[in-house]
Amino acid sequence: MAEFIAGPNFSGRSAALMAWLRAGAPAFFVGPYAEAALSGLASTVADEIAIYRSGEPVRPAFAPLDFASCAARKPPTLSGGEQVLLALHCFSLSDYAAIGIDTALEQLDPQNRVDALGYLSQGAAQGFTAALIDNRLACPAGWSPRQLTGSAVDFACDLAAIDPPPCKAPVIGVRQMSFRYPGGRDIFRDTDFRLEPGQAYRLTGPNGAGKTTLFKLLAGVLSPASGGITLDGTAYAPWRSGNRIFALATQNPDQQWCGATLAEDLARRRAALAREPDIGLPSVETLAALAACLGVRSIDQHLYELPLVARKRLSWLWPLAGAMPWTMFDEPTLGQDQATRAALAEVIGRLTRNGYGVVFVTHDDEFASLIAHRPIRLADATVRL
Amino acid sequence: MTPNGAVIFALAVIAGAALARDAITLGIVLTITLIFGLGSRRRIWGALAWSAGIVLPLAAFMGAVWIGIVGRAPAEIAASLEGSRAAAAAYVAVICVRLFIVAFAIQAAFLHFAGWTPLRFVGGLAAPPVVKKLLVLTLSLIETILQAVDRARTALIAAGIITRNPSWRNLRHGWILVQTVWLTVVTIAIGRTRDKWPVEDTLARLDGALATSMAPRLGAADCGWIALVVAGAAIAWGLR
Repeated sequence: MAEFIAGPNFSGRSAALMAWLRAGAPAFFVGPYAEAALSGLASTVADEIAIYRSGEPVRPAFAPLDFASCAARKPPTLSGGEQVLLALHCFSLSDYAAIGIDTALEQLDPQNRVDALGYLSQGAAQGFTAALIDNRLACPAGWSPRQLTGSAVDFACDLAAIDPPPCKAPVIGVRQMSFRYPGGRDIFRDTDFRLEPGQAYRLTGPNGAGKTTLFKLLAGVLSPASGGITLDGTAYAPWRSGNRIFALATQNPDQQWCGATLAEDLARRRAALAREPDIGLPSVETLAALAACLGVRSIDQHLYELPLVARKRLSWLWPLAGAMPWTMFDEPTLGQDQATRAALAEVIGRLTRNGYGVVFVTHDDEFASLIAHRPIRLADATVRL
Repeated sequence: MTPNGAVIFALAVIAGAALARDAITLGIVLTITLIFGLGSRRRIWGALAWSAGIVLPLAAFMGAVWIGIVGRAPAEIAASLEGSRAAAAAYVAVICVRLFIVAFAIQAAFLHFAGWTPLRFVGGLAAPPVVKKLLVLTLSLIETILQAVDRARTALIAAGIITRNPSWRNLRHGWILVQTVWLTVVTIAIGRTRDKWPVEDTLARLDGALATSMAPRLGAADCGWIALVVAGAAIAWGLR
């Protein structure tokens, strides 16, 4: 019978899942991010599928996307949700008799999530067993619950203590912006929209619609093919001059570290921001106190030695530090338990009340409902407010 | 054409370019390589430009040193002759054409397999399974490094430490990018090897994936291309 492993963060759910998988090894594993979801041995989507495909089909294929159309793409260039769907597709074509999923389904849009859960729930009939960790679900019907209760206090966080200083964020204008990846379809085509400070905006759209791409454009990681950005009506090109407006918390926290230890990361970011006269730079002591609120007590902590859940929380540090007037959270609740999600929603509300602008992406409707926000819909290469 | 034929052809061309000592022989090897590229029935301009791009920095450096500063060819120096800049230019040209042929031969070989995935190409090679696995792992490492570069750039640009477009800031902080890339490579590798690979026995699946190719070891087209190289070598030998 399929097993649902429940419990708060740091209760040992991931360890329990790995023990379950090892007992039935070889078994398929879908971890929270690409390095633990995909094999890493394939240069293309077609090769990823070829590695896992068994000689004879042993169960119906789970094919939520048209993988043939992206067969030549490199797996890491897929969006987070698409990578999870690819992993599930590979499992469905393989001859593994067991699959374990560690919070990865939290990255899926509602329809894909329902489809994936439906497929996994039919495991008994299809000859496979499944174990699942998911913070947004109660135990699904037909699954066997396994409740873990203990919780380590080493990384306990206290988001209630966080209150960023008041701020007057600029109005963001995006005008006639177009963007596409080389050889790909239009992600944005002559897009216009305007973001007001003191508001929270939720970007919505299916997996692969371009939500993370929009974040990267606003932060200057990507540059548009045409069009541009304005701040209070003045032209702003972060891809040329450097990002000084948007504090970004990435979907995968490991995409935002600038050093090996927290101290190194803070020093490098502070040195970069010190060049900008408009930025009120927080002191190291302030940042260390904020890190402690997020569960990391020492700035000498090696970032990559932290548990993933703790790294994810620490990724909120700069958006919550108040150094930059706009904050962007990409799937901030991934891997976070109910209590932490509610506390984060409260802090984001505080940010907007203090004058910051917030843009966030989440497939977690319950979390979004806790934040007063305006939806932004990404569809057909346009942004609709 | 089969992957084995392409590898044999490319190695033969590379050997021919390395052994060629005069412009005529090099011209023959270059012509054969160009015909091989055109034989892929794909546009070869990109491959030509890429190969030229690799050679140009070397050509500029060697031109400055041998033509501009030394002013004589190495053979003239060895023979204690007065020498000339024309001889030095000919020496530089031979070296650069050789490198161009090597770069283009590899590009042209891949043009013949433009619709293939890397796994299919490696699977089609007549090599021991362990060699094929090592090739796949090498490609995987290259992809991991590229992925790490993308991640590290995202982190440093979003933090305002570097910029997307070229800037002095990027030159000053390039070492941070290098350090971040390697940290990221290690993190990605650990993420795979700690949980995913052991529990799935992922590497063992490569045996099946690489063994599925039923292509013949050498085809008629391979023999035709190899015969062309042999004919070229015979012509070059006869002209000596």
